Order: sequence, then structure tokens, then C-alpha cells
Amino acid sequence: MPDFNVRSDSVNVEQIMEQIRVRIREKRGVDYTEQQIRELAAVKLEKFLDPRGVRSDLLDQFRKAQPPYEPPELPNFAFEDATLFESHRAPIRWMRKLLMPLLKLLFNPNPLIQALHIQSRLNAINAERDAKRESARRAMDQLYYELVHNLVVETTRTGIEVKNLKMRVESISSRLEFNERRARALESAVVYKAADQDETPAQRPAPQVPQPRQQQAPQPRYTPPQQPPSYPAPSQAAPAAPAAVATPVAPQGQPTQGAVPGQVPGAPGEGPGQRSRRRRRRRGRRGGGSAAAVMGAAGSGASEAPADGQESIDAVDQMDAMDRMDDDGSPESEETHDAAVERVEEASIAEAEVRQAESAAEGSRVEQAEPPRVEAPSEPRPVEAPPEPAPAEAPRETPHEPSQEPPHVAAPPAEPAPAPTAAPDHGDHDPK
Amino acid sequence: MKIAVVVQRYGQAVNGGAELHARYVAEHLARHGQVEVLTTCATDYVTWRNELLAGVEQVNGVAVRRFKVKHERDPLVFGKRSDRVFEQLHSLGDELDWLDAEGPTSPALVDYINTHASDYDYFLFFSYRYYHAYYGARAAGARAILVPTAERDETIGLSIFQPLFRSVRAIMYNSPEERALIQAVSGNETVPGVVVGVGSDVPNNPQAGRFRQKYNIRGPFAVYVGRIDQNKGCKELFEFFQGYLRDPSGKLSLILIGNTLLPIPEHKRIRHLGFLDDTDKFDAMAAAEALIMPSYYESLSMVALEAWALGRPVLANGKCDVLKGQCLRSNAGLFYETLGEFIGTLEAIEQNRWLAGSLGRNGRQYFRDNYDWPVIERKYLEMFERLKKDGTPPAADPLPGWFDRRRQDLPAAQDVLAKLPKGPVWRRG
Repeated sequence: MPDFNVRSDSVNVEQIMEQIRVRIREKRGVDYTEQQIRELAAVKLEKFLDPRGVRSDLLDQFRKAQPPYEPPELPNFAFEDATLFESHRAPIRWMRKLLMPLLKLLFNPNPLIQALHIQSRLNAINAERDAKRESARRAMDQLYYELVHNLVVETTRTGIEVKNLKMRVESISSRLEFNERRARALESAVVYKAADQDETPAQRPAPQVPQPRQQQAPQPRYTPPQQPPSYPAPSQAAPAAPAAVATPVAPQGQPTQGAVPGQVPGAPGEGPGQRSRRRRRRRGRRGGGSAAAVMGAAGSGASEAPADGQESIDAVDQMDAMDRMDDDGSPESEETHDAAVERVEEASIAEAEVRQAESAAEGSRVEQAEPPRVEAPSEPRPVEAPPEPAPAEAPRETPHEPSQEPPHVAAPPAEPAPAPTAAPDHGDHDPK
Repeated sequence: MKIAVVVQRYGQAVNGGAELHARYVAEHLARHGQVEVLTTCATDYVTWRNELLAGVEQVNGVAVRRFKVKHERDPLVFGKRSDRVFEQLHSLGDELDWLDAEGPTSPALVDYINTHASDYDYFLFFSYRYYHAYYGARAAGARAILVPTAERDETIGLSIFQPLFRSVRAIMYNSPEERALIQAVSGNETVPGVVVGVGSDVPNNPQAGRFRQKYNIRGPFAVYVGRIDQNKGCKELFEFFQGYLRDPSGKLSLILIGNTLLPIPEHKRIRHLGFLDDTDKFDAMAAAEALIMPSYYESLSMVALEAWALGRPVLANGKCDVLKGQCLRSNAGLFYETLGEFIGTLEAIEQNRWLAGSLGRNGRQYFRDNYDWPVIERKYLEMFERLKKDGTPPAADPLPGWFDRRRQDLPAAQDVLAKLPKGPVWRRG
């Protein structure tokens, strides 16, 4: 007995039906009979309306416009077989009755009586029918009102929902774009390292990237003619930091020279303090002017620094670019950024693994179907420039350090052109 | 004792419920007295066309006297008059016109009863709604016994039949629900009456395997037997059964037996076998897990009784008071009103063998106690004896006069019907 229990030996249909109904209610909810549905449909309009949902006085106005219907009093008459011969005077009635045979001898009044009697009945029936029709029409008006009202409410609700959905779509699309850019930046950093290790330092031509960076970065700084070459304001004490910040750049490159071949500069060869130093440097840049200092240091050292040193600078710039993209000043973003940096560094360490990862990267890139990655090999560098300005950075820097905004904006385009095909894909570029 | 059975159609090929009922009763009463059937020459209940010869013939050993029908039914006129009397304020004349349009209008039959009433002890009039019962009962006077076969439809609300229910000598009801309905509409509590119903000649050993082999049917199935018509609830049955088919736990198929007026849904688990003879019909019932009776209007479902006689449970439409009352009184069937109940009850019968078996056993016992032929015959004979002792026949209401027939003061029949009590009569029964 899978569905219900009958506890007695003798079957009780009423009990079984009750058990079946209970089970149906549990399984499918309330199962309305046709009679119940009709009763629900017969409920008056005011019972349907939830007062909290009605925000206008439409119902009151509708009721004012539609006063309760009262059928008009149409004139009618009663006509029976003795109506023609009635009179309030008894003698006259007696005379008429007496002369009735004579009257019937002259003509037959019965058809006339019948016709008038039927007409009287017809009048009454028609009046009653008209009253019924009118009341039915008014009931239909109530129904139409209810329908229109519900339509208006539902349309409004739908409109609001559509607006909300539009906003959500915009938000999601912006987040998607942001994530794509971050992933692209991460990949390009890794790709650069991998390509770099394939080439010997001597064979690698001096990157042309710093030049545009040198050209672009200082330009905003020196374009205003009234701007002094130096920054005397106390808030611009940070620009003095470039010297302090720039100095770690050189050591950062130095270990790479002495590093084991195959090791990427700035990764396993660097000491444990270098990472924190780099973090401090980035913080200093965020604090003001450090990027300019870096740019200046890089620019000034471009001709002097060896290729490896230049690469380490570029790697730092890559990380800075990532930093700009996801840094919102919160400790979490800092940590995630560091995690990203570590991943980039680790990715660029293992050369053998890089080669193996190349094939995996190809597959995953196809899966991810990122248009910029596909187009990267054939595209010149300026193509990557437009997405670089991080939208989250602008409002943060503009009010406080307008003079240092250009370096932040211009820094990412200064990245060297990566070797796009050698990007190792570890499957988790997103630091978050 | 000479009994006249008066019915609108009669013959072995006539399969209507009331007509079959009349034939069974006539054939079984013929064992206890002389029985003659008075009927028309019509076999089609839609047109009442004269298709058989007038005169006397023998059908299964019973004398049948046929009379011509004066005119065939005009469906348009009948429809208009039905709308008038069922839905509008009308007069007694309108109702008489409706009765004339409905047919089978056979003044010859009424004249015969009028002139030969004294030749018979009793006249059993079947189906109150037809011309022969209304005018024939008046002609038979104190010898008229009515087997109304009334259903809960608008016809019961017509005013012309209320005097008929009060003026006949006795009424043989089919069910307690029918009796309650007629008493409520006419106030004829003083008229002697008994709930009788009808029996059925069910074979002792139906062959379920023979049916399955003959029609290549495998697996469990539920069966419907009868005319496949919207008025019989078959459209709703199809909708509900298709809902049941969507439930993966259900394994039953639906086998339909009878002539169809509806398109059958195309599904591999719904099969229509057409009209079958009694042997195949009983074999099919014996092979079925249950009989489904989806009809909204029944005065007595003979098919349901036959299924119970074979020990099969019945799943009935709960909107029909009579079927619901029968299920409750017998504890031999379940009933449904909604799709959920249909699926739930069908699954209960299908999946619970103990329940299905218990329902079937109860049904067999219910049939033996109430609808076996010896019981039916005894009830008729007891009524005849009772009437013989009661010498005071009820006074018949006079026919309405000219003005009475034209007074438009009768309510619509559907309004009268709406005021009548509803529901099964089973606690009192």
C-alpha cells in the first residue's frame, strides 16, 4: 500500500477518498474543484484588490462615475379577461354583464382581450429582460475595470523589472570587461617572460618600449608651460621619492644578471625582502609621484641598464599595470595583487614548465575565446593602449594629484610588446 | 396478471439505457405473468423515424405491439423550444409544445392505452420525459406505474411532469438519489415507491485471457463501456487520462468500448475497440483493473453494476450524485472530481492490489444484495401485491385550461433544477 493506509479490514470509501485528498493536497497543493474556482471568480472586485497595491483613487472615481443601477419604472398595464367591462359603479357593471351576449353577438372581443393580455405580459418580460441586461453590462464594466487595473499594475511592475535588469546587464558587462582586461594584462606579463627566456640577452634587441614611455610620460608633466620643473609643494614631497624608489629598481635587475640561467629576474633569485620592497614602492607610487619617479628612473637608466635590468623594470611595470587595475586601496586588493605577482613570478621561473604550458595555454586560450589574445600576435602595440586606463583609478587620483595622473595613464602602453604565442596558462590568472 | 411495458423504443438492437432496462424487466416479469410491450416503430432516438413495422411481434418470447410515430423530430424546432423552456420564463403551453417536439409523438399508442386500459392490470411506463409516458399515464389512470429513469438535468424542472409524478399509482426508482430528486421537485411522498434498479445477466465465467488474445492487449488497463460522447463525460475523461499518462508511475492503458461521437486522442495507451457484443464486453471487464464511469448524469449505471457483479472496482465521476452515492453505499468504487483526484484514485486502484480486491468483493456483494434478478423481480411483485391491496388510487390533476396553458409564469427549468437538493443519499440509504 504505497500511497495511503486503510487501517480496517473493511474498506471505507469515504475514508479512502479523504486520505487520497489529503495526499493530493500534500503533493500538489490545493486542488480546486470547478465549483470552488467559480466561487473564487465570483468574488467582488473590492475583495480582489489589495489596498496596499492600489496607489490611486481610480476605484473611487469609477464608482462615482457608475452609481448603483436601479431599473427604471416603465409604464405598463394589467389586462385580464374582465378588464374591458370593469367599472367602479355596480349598476354599470350589471348592465354591461347583462348586455354581454348582445355585445358578443355584434363582435368577438376575445382576440382583443388576448392580444392586450399578451402585450401586457410582453411588456413585463421585456422590462425584466432589459433590467437583467443592464445589470449584466454593469457587471461586465466592473470586470473590465479590474482587468485594466491589473494590466496597469503588471505593466508597471514589468517596466521596473526591465529597468533593473538593464542595470544589472550593464554592471555585469562592465565587470566582464574589467576581468577581461585584467586577464589580458596577466597573460601578457607571463608571455613576455616566457618569450624573454627563449632569447639570449645578447640577441634580444633593446626594447623600444621605454622610448615611447619616456616620450609619453613626461609629456603631460612638461606640457603646461606654467608648471615649474620642480615640485615645491609639501604634498609633492613624494616626487622626491623617485630617487628612493628608483634605487630598488636597479638592484632588482642586478640579481637577474647573476641569476641562474633560466631564472626570471625578480622571481626566485630575489631575496625575501625584495617583494616587500616592491610593495612599498608601489605604495609609494600610489602615494604620489612614484610612478613618475619610476618612469624617470627607467628612462634615465634605459641606456645604461642592461637588457635584463630593463626586463625587470618592464616586469615591474606589468605588475603596476595590474595593480592599477584591481587596486582599490583595500588590504584585500593588496594581498590579491601580491598573490598575482607571485603567480606571475612563479610562472616565469620554470622555463621547462613554460614550454609545456605553452600547449596548454593555446588550448585554454581557445576555450576562453578572448578576442584580444587572439588578435595580439598580429596587432601592433597601440591596439593595447586604449584599454589600459583603469577607470577605477581616475576618480581616485584626479582630485588630489592631477599632475601625476598622466604617468599612471600612460604607463601601461609603455609595456614592451610581448611574444604572444608563448604565454603559459596556469589556468588561474585571476588573482581573486 | 397482465402487465404492459410501455417504452419509447424496444428491440434487441436497441441499446439505450432505459430501453435495455425495459427489455430486461419485461423478459424477467414474463416469467411471473403475461407481459406485453407497447412501443413505437422507431429505433433512432434522435429522429424517431418509423423504421419497424406497426403491429405485434415476438422479441425473446415477449409480445411487442408497435405503433406509428406521427412525425419525426425536427432538431431546430426542438432546440428552440428547449431553449425556451429551459432558460426563460415560459408557459405550460410552451412545455407541452416542447414535449410534442421531443417525441416520439404517437397518438395511436395513447389511444390504444385509452381504449384498452382495462385489459391490463398494470402499465409500466419507462422514462418520464417522453410523450408516451406523459399522455399514456393519464390514459392508463390508476393502472399506471412509472419507472422514471430521471437524471439531474433540466427536464426534471419542467412543470408538466410534477402532476405526473403525483398522479401515477406507484414509482419504481432506480436509486435513492432519483427518489430524493423527484420528491423534492414534485412533493409526491404519498405516492408508493421503491428503489429497485435493474439487474444484469452477467456470465459466470468471463474469459479475460480470451479478450486479451483476441484484441492483442497486454498490460494492465482500465475500461470504459458506453457511448463515447461529450454528454457522457468522455471529453473530460480523455483530458484526465492524458494527465495520468504524464505521470510516469502510472502503467494503465485505457480501453474504450462503444460507438464514438468524439475524436479519440492518439496515444499508444488509449485504444478504441468499437462496439462489442456482450461476450467480449464482459471479457473486457473481467480483464480490466477497473471500470471508469465518467458520466455526469446517470439514473443508474448498469455498466457499473455489471463491473461490480464481475468483482471489478469502479472509478466514477463524483459530479454525478447517483454514481457517487452508489460508490459510497457499496464501498466498491472510488470517485473523482478533479484531475488530481482522478490520478490519485486511479493510482490507488492500480498500485494497491488489496484495495482493488476489496472494492471488487464489496461490489460483488452489493450487486448480489440489491441488483440480482431474484431481488429485482421480488420487488416488482411485492409492489403489484401492495397496489392490489391499496384500493385508493391518487387523483390525477386535470389538464390545464386555455388561459392556464398560456400564462407565462413558469420559471426556467434550469432555475428549478438549481434549487433542488444535491449530493448523494448514502447515510440515509
